[in-house]
Amino acid sequence: MLIKISSINVSYGPVKALKGVSLEAASGEIITLIGSNGSGKSTTLMTVSGILRPDSGDVIFDGFSIAGLPAHKIVDMGISQVPEGRRIFSGMTLHENLLMGGFSADASALKQRLEKVYELFPVFKERRLQLGGTLSGGEQQMLAIARALMSGPRLLLLDEPSLGLSPVMAQKIFKVIKEINSEGVTVLLVEQNAMAALSLCTRGYVLEGGRVKLYGPGRDLINNDDVRKAYLGE
Amino acid sequence: MSGTGSIISRVRHNQFSKTFFISLWVSLLLLPFAGPRIAVIFFGVVFFFVLLVRLIKKTASAEPVSIISSRIRSMSGSIYSGRYSGFMLLIAAVASAAAPFALTSYYLDILIMACIYMLLALGLNVIVGYTGLLHLGFAGSYAIGAYTYALLNTHFGINFWLCLPVSALASSAAGLLLAIPALRLRGDYLAIVTLGFGEIIRIVLNNWDSVTKGPNGISGIAAPSIAGISLGNLHLYYYVVLAIILIALFVIKRVEVSRTGRAWMAIREDEIAASSMGINITRYKIYAFVFGSLWAGVAGQLFAAKMQFVSPESFTFMESVFILCMVILGGLGNTYGVLFGAFIIAIMPEALRGIDSYRMLIVGIGLVALMIFRPQGITGGARRCR
Repeated sequence: MLIKISSINVSYGPVKALKGVSLEAASGEIITLIGSNGSGKSTTLMTVSGILRPDSGDVIFDGFSIAGLPAHKIVDMGISQVPEGRRIFSGMTLHENLLMGGFSADASALKQRLEKVYELFPVFKERRLQLGGTLSGGEQQMLAIARALMSGPRLLLLDEPSLGLSPVMAQKIFKVIKEINSEGVTVLLVEQNAMAALSLCTRGYVLEGGRVKLYGPGRDLINNDDVRKAYLGE
Repeated sequence: MSGTGSIISRVRHNQFSKTFFISLWVSLLLLPFAGPRIAVIFFGVVFFFVLLVRLIKKTASAEPVSIISSRIRSMSGSIYSGRYSGFMLLIAAVASAAAPFALTSYYLDILIMACIYMLLALGLNVIVGYTGLLHLGFAGSYAIGAYTYALLNTHFGINFWLCLPVSALASSAAGLLLAIPALRLRGDYLAIVTLGFGEIIRIVLNNWDSVTKGPNGISGIAAPSIAGISLGNLHLYYYVVLAIILIALFVIKRVEVSRTGRAWMAIREDEIAASSMGINITRYKIYAFVFGSLWAGVAGQLFAAKMQFVSPESFTFMESVFILCMVILGGLGNTYGVLFGAFIIAIMPEALRGIDSYRMLIVGIGLVALMIFRPQGITGGARRCR
């Protein structure tokens, strides 16, 4: 297992957001977390990326416990997060945004990754001097993903990448995620668009009220009656 | 945008009333001080100029330049970048090198003070401009530099050059002490804590009679000298200050484009995103406080050596605000802009001495007008457009 989260409890002050969530991902998988608002999807991601600290439980990445480590150390270990709402550096150029993504990388690795990212997103190469804030929502999301790839992650955390995007753009984003995954990056994806996410993933987890309610291969979840009723609108 | 005709009509529709109200506001502000006649004249003059400026701006932006390239140009810098940068630099270099020969000692005195303020503004710009941490107690760091030199020099006779790194370090250390509690705070709360820091320093200096001689201040501070030749003479001292500014500028510019500089800007733009990029936010904020305060220490020592006297009243809260104004006026995060802003604000009270009682009013109006028309500062802050 590349990452193994074992019964973590996370709270925001007195509010318990996660009540013993466990999940795991093998190398090369796409894992999807779905669930309604407030079910703890984003909280799970933020705990993995080190922005939040679990009260108890453990997160094991590649054999090391990373629960409670500061975010910047976790990035160095090979986990990169695309935060919810994109959060690109709007006053910096596209190129500078990418450089920021590779903040901890040395010069040669940086150059290599830049080339790779420009290969994956050819449109960025010609627009590298454009300010991040002048991009459209979809492009910003692409940039946020590209930026996250700049740290050379083994595990990519994506928090609602299709948020606020047109269906066409969302499809493009999912395609990109698939492409990134096919190059060996494990993906942990949080999505509201349950149908798209479940058909993309190898396995999915359904969260409800801070607990894992269901999990299994994406296909099975799509065909599960409860899931269909609650998240696929049938 | 199409032709000039439509531009002018646009200006009429959109800008006319706005211009009118701005002029009205300025003249109403003047009314109680200057009487109705001058207020009316002012109304006319301000109205005319504001309209003119707005027209020029509109026409200029209608030039058939590609939007992106013009945007990049206006973002990536200022009047200092691009084709004219070499030329501008040359003029600045010649002008600043020749200044002592052309100026009387009165103006030279003002110029030296302006240079000290430039150094302060450069330092504060690291904290406020690059990293986006609002610091309202920068005069505290400035005071520490000044008093370090004043005390070490008068008690132990340590000379200027030996003491310079000590003052810088003392200020940096104070910056570090301030950074530790301040790191947990943001925005308004940080502003209050830094304000408290500045006041604490001033009050300690004011009350610690046995060491600082309280409000009486410390006098008889030595000017720097090289090989037995005193540089206390204004002409020579000016070159000392100038040299130190150039060094500061060089160092700060290098740091700005370094990895550390990029980390600061990322923190300014978005802290959460910055930390998910692998930036140790705590560490880089501390760096900003320490590195920014360092220059305040140097400026403080330069001030003490110039005045040969220090007292707490030179380091009030107003002084902190003054330095902050320079940074904001010049353009947050734009190194050259900040120098320019510091220069303007530092000389303004003296330059306007002719109109005596109105001068602070004019300075105030100028600041307000600037914030209305160019909220990003004269040179349009570094890349920041939100």
